[in-house]
Amino acid sequence: MRRTLSILALAAIGCTWAGEIPKHPRDLKYPPLNFTPPHAADYRHKLASGATAYLVEDHELPLVHLSVLVRTGEYLDPSGKKGLAQLTGSQIRSGGTESKKPAEFDEDAAFLAAQISSGAGPLEGQASLDCLSKDIDAGLAMFVDMLHHPGFAEDRLQLARNQALQGMERRNDNTAAIELREFERLLRGDRFFSTIPSTKASVEAITRQDMLDFHAKYYYPGNFVLAVSGDFQTQDMLGKLDKALAGWTNRAGAVPRPPKPDFAPSGGVYIVDKKVNQGRVRMGHLGVMYTNPDHTAITVMNGILGGSGFTSRIMSRVRSDEGLAYQAGSIFQHGYYYDGQFAVVFQSKSASVAQAVAIVREEIDRMRTKPVTPEELEIEKGAVVESFPRRFATASLRAAQFAADDYNGVPADYWDKYRERVQALKVADVQRVAAKYLQPDKLIVLVVGDADAIERGNPDRPQYKLGPATRIPLPDPLTMVYPK
Amino acid sequence: MLDNGMKLLMVPRKGSPNVNAGWVAKVGSVNERPGITGISHLFEHMMFKGTQVIGTKNIEEDLKVMVELDRVKAEMRKEEQDLARRLREGEIADVKDPKVRTPRHQQLIAEFDRLTKREKELVVKEELDRIYTAAGVTGTNAGTSEDWTIYFSNVPANKLELWYWMESDRLLHPVFREFYSERDVVHEERRRSIDSTPTGRYMEQFEAMFWKSSPYHWPVVGWPSDLEAITREDATSYFGVNYAPNNLVACLVGDFEPARAIELAKQYFGRLPRGPYDPEPVRTVESPQLAEQRMTAYAETNPQAIIRYHTVADGHKDEYALDVLANLMNDRTGRLYKSLVIEQQVANMASAAHVNRKYEGFFEFRGIAKPGKTPEQVEQAIYKELEKVQKEPPSEHELQKVKNQVTASNFRRLQSDHFLMFQLLMAEADRGWRTLNTDPARTQAVTAADVQRVAKQYFEPSNRNVLLFYTKRGEPGKRGAEARSSEGAGQ
Repeated sequence: MRRTLSILALAAIGCTWAGEIPKHPRDLKYPPLNFTPPHAADYRHKLASGATAYLVEDHELPLVHLSVLVRTGEYLDPSGKKGLAQLTGSQIRSGGTESKKPAEFDEDAAFLAAQISSGAGPLEGQASLDCLSKDIDAGLAMFVDMLHHPGFAEDRLQLARNQALQGMERRNDNTAAIELREFERLLRGDRFFSTIPSTKASVEAITRQDMLDFHAKYYYPGNFVLAVSGDFQTQDMLGKLDKALAGWTNRAGAVPRPPKPDFAPSGGVYIVDKKVNQGRVRMGHLGVMYTNPDHTAITVMNGILGGSGFTSRIMSRVRSDEGLAYQAGSIFQHGYYYDGQFAVVFQSKSASVAQAVAIVREEIDRMRTKPVTPEELEIEKGAVVESFPRRFATASLRAAQFAADDYNGVPADYWDKYRERVQALKVADVQRVAAKYLQPDKLIVLVVGDADAIERGNPDRPQYKLGPATRIPLPDPLTMVYPK
Repeated sequence: MLDNGMKLLMVPRKGSPNVNAGWVAKVGSVNERPGITGISHLFEHMMFKGTQVIGTKNIEEDLKVMVELDRVKAEMRKEEQDLARRLREGEIADVKDPKVRTPRHQQLIAEFDRLTKREKELVVKEELDRIYTAAGVTGTNAGTSEDWTIYFSNVPANKLELWYWMESDRLLHPVFREFYSERDVVHEERRRSIDSTPTGRYMEQFEAMFWKSSPYHWPVVGWPSDLEAITREDATSYFGVNYAPNNLVACLVGDFEPARAIELAKQYFGRLPRGPYDPEPVRTVESPQLAEQRMTAYAETNPQAIIRYHTVADGHKDEYALDVLANLMNDRTGRLYKSLVIEQQVANMASAAHVNRKYEGFFEFRGIAKPGKTPEQVEQAIYKELEKVQKEPPSEHELQKVKNQVTASNFRRLQSDHFLMFQLLMAEADRGWRTLNTDPARTQAVTAADVQRVAKQYFEPSNRNVLLFYTKRGEPGKRGAEARSSEGAGQ
């Protein structure tokens, strides 16, 4: 102990050397920061092929990055062929092209040191090319050949199926994966595209012809949004893109947008039994749509509740006060096609799960019933406003943001007055949206962990109990049939 | 370089109006010893607990409570040591069971809880983070590895002085408050990243088997019993040596004026007093391995083989040829994928990596068995690939491919300001930032004969460590899973 004091004493002497350093950081004065968000329209180009492209030049390093968003996704998987979008997306890259065998294509890309990828997620397909700018002609030719004329080689398809099946076998091992899967089911029901799982049968039913059909249906320039950044001249690159995409016919009619779930989730406590010493918890309910005019206020409210890391209330209480978790926080998503999700997420040792759940419930109630302090609001507004330029920090971030906004239908002037909208928020706005959009009666509390130990709780804190919980069994990982 | 020995690296870069700012303390778990394993990482947490100005409502009272807490904790430790003795002698089964405590121990715990509560009342919660967050500073965090501890933030360009104020303040006037409750958080971190993952605890055991005498033997997060026992006094003496400016390097990448940055560094970091001495390099060297070591584990994971060989420390002349060897093996066009996955169909995934730490290094292969194949078959197939390189050097085309990729990745890694800052700080903790510029040429100079030579030199069976994973049989009541997993493991 003496040593602590002697170090502190030394430090105190050190402090007297520097006269001009203010005693507290609040006394520091800063020059103004001038930043105007870039306008997507200044970078937007309609290509001859019908694709939309955002081009942002950056000549610091001799690299070019090109990524493509494709209007497709798992929501377009045909019934009985769950996994088709994903397999098609990945096999575009892995299955070679009409003129090049997979090994040959891979070898050429590797020798060029070009990174070429393709994949598909729930709501979009993506593909990208990253290469040295001196190699852009060769890289672009390979990339477009892959996207336009994929080979879908049978042996690579078989390998991908094997890998998918092996991955399925492990579906019930990782508590984090179980948590995401079961929460989505509780939130969206069992009949939505995001909860209908791929199975051994569905993956084995997928043929090469299915992939060719899926590709033909969704992969064409009119269905692409491109983001291109790096070391090129815009006019020159536009010419290259037009040339590369020439002769690729567009399909008539628009690709349908993702559906909305037709399901009313019911709140309650749910538990999946898994013998590990830490319980994973996700508690929440439906979020909102991006078109909801309150979504900016909700984002700020959620920041105060749990979205801003250590500064947030949930982190502060669950981690710092009680040491009950390493990570604790919340998200309140606004979906572009259907309601996002509100979720508080943390992990805690079995004995303290019930206590942490109780604390989170308290914090949600406090958020709804009591106004936040002006200081809390100022911190959160500062966080959003002052860090705003970072969204556009690099050429590739800018191009990606423009392309994503375009894909999701976000108006081109969305960011122009974004900071002003945040600055205008008042304490009352935060409380209003908290009371309206946080819904304790609809809370789904999902726990994945050692059910008996979690329900037993902490003998030293008997006041905390998880309460009656519905047990969710683990499904057969290959059929995804749940035992009764 | 400041007079007190602290160094500042600067990479001014226009673009977006912000600065990636960070600093490294050249210390990690490799510098620890039994009894305080995990202190580097615990310490990283403590550095966010505030200072004499930040994080407290009343510093005098705060310090008084801390003295009291340490006094009670010292008394408790005597009780805990006695419980540990009774556990050793088989008198009790669980030192945590409240029933085995003496009345005196219970009284001390009550006293300790009362003081902890008092301490909490004095804390201004997460003030460091609040000040940063409100100012638009994002990504404030830190990381601890075997060889370094790095603290970083992304700062709006006009608020660089705030970063200097906050970082120099916590180096100058740190107060390790909430010292005892923070370790609960670290325990949760350990449960999350090691205990509750399918393979975490087995990998920890494998590491401990692989390193015999080297301090890389223990995990960065530390052994649980040490975490329980580390005292504030341990932390203070650790800080005095390892967080002195002569052991620190700061780095700025982004939009700033270098002259102003130097001026601020002198003003703020210049006030840190130089440490009593420069920390000594690690003394304990890994003793040569004499015989192969094997481990077999049953876990909720795919059947797989992990094979590891001792190699060389970072910067050794053979590092570059070993890196090239790993690249030859990797990716879609690498030898492992082509041979094990595509041609022989024995594995569904296979990779190689050469990992160089400051004092030691290792070369590792991993392969996941295809259903119906065994980890042993994967293991044998990997040895065959090694033999091929030992017998015949790689072709010029293959070597050139790897070198082209290295060239491109040398550009790619400069793209992100944050990543560049991180690499510079990591290099400073090791052989210095200039190695970022000089190492690529050493890789380009590697010849096919070099690759063949290292393949012969470092991959003797006696230098080998093998971990085979079999899929753990399903829990009772899940017959389906059991049947499939035993088939998968080929048993």
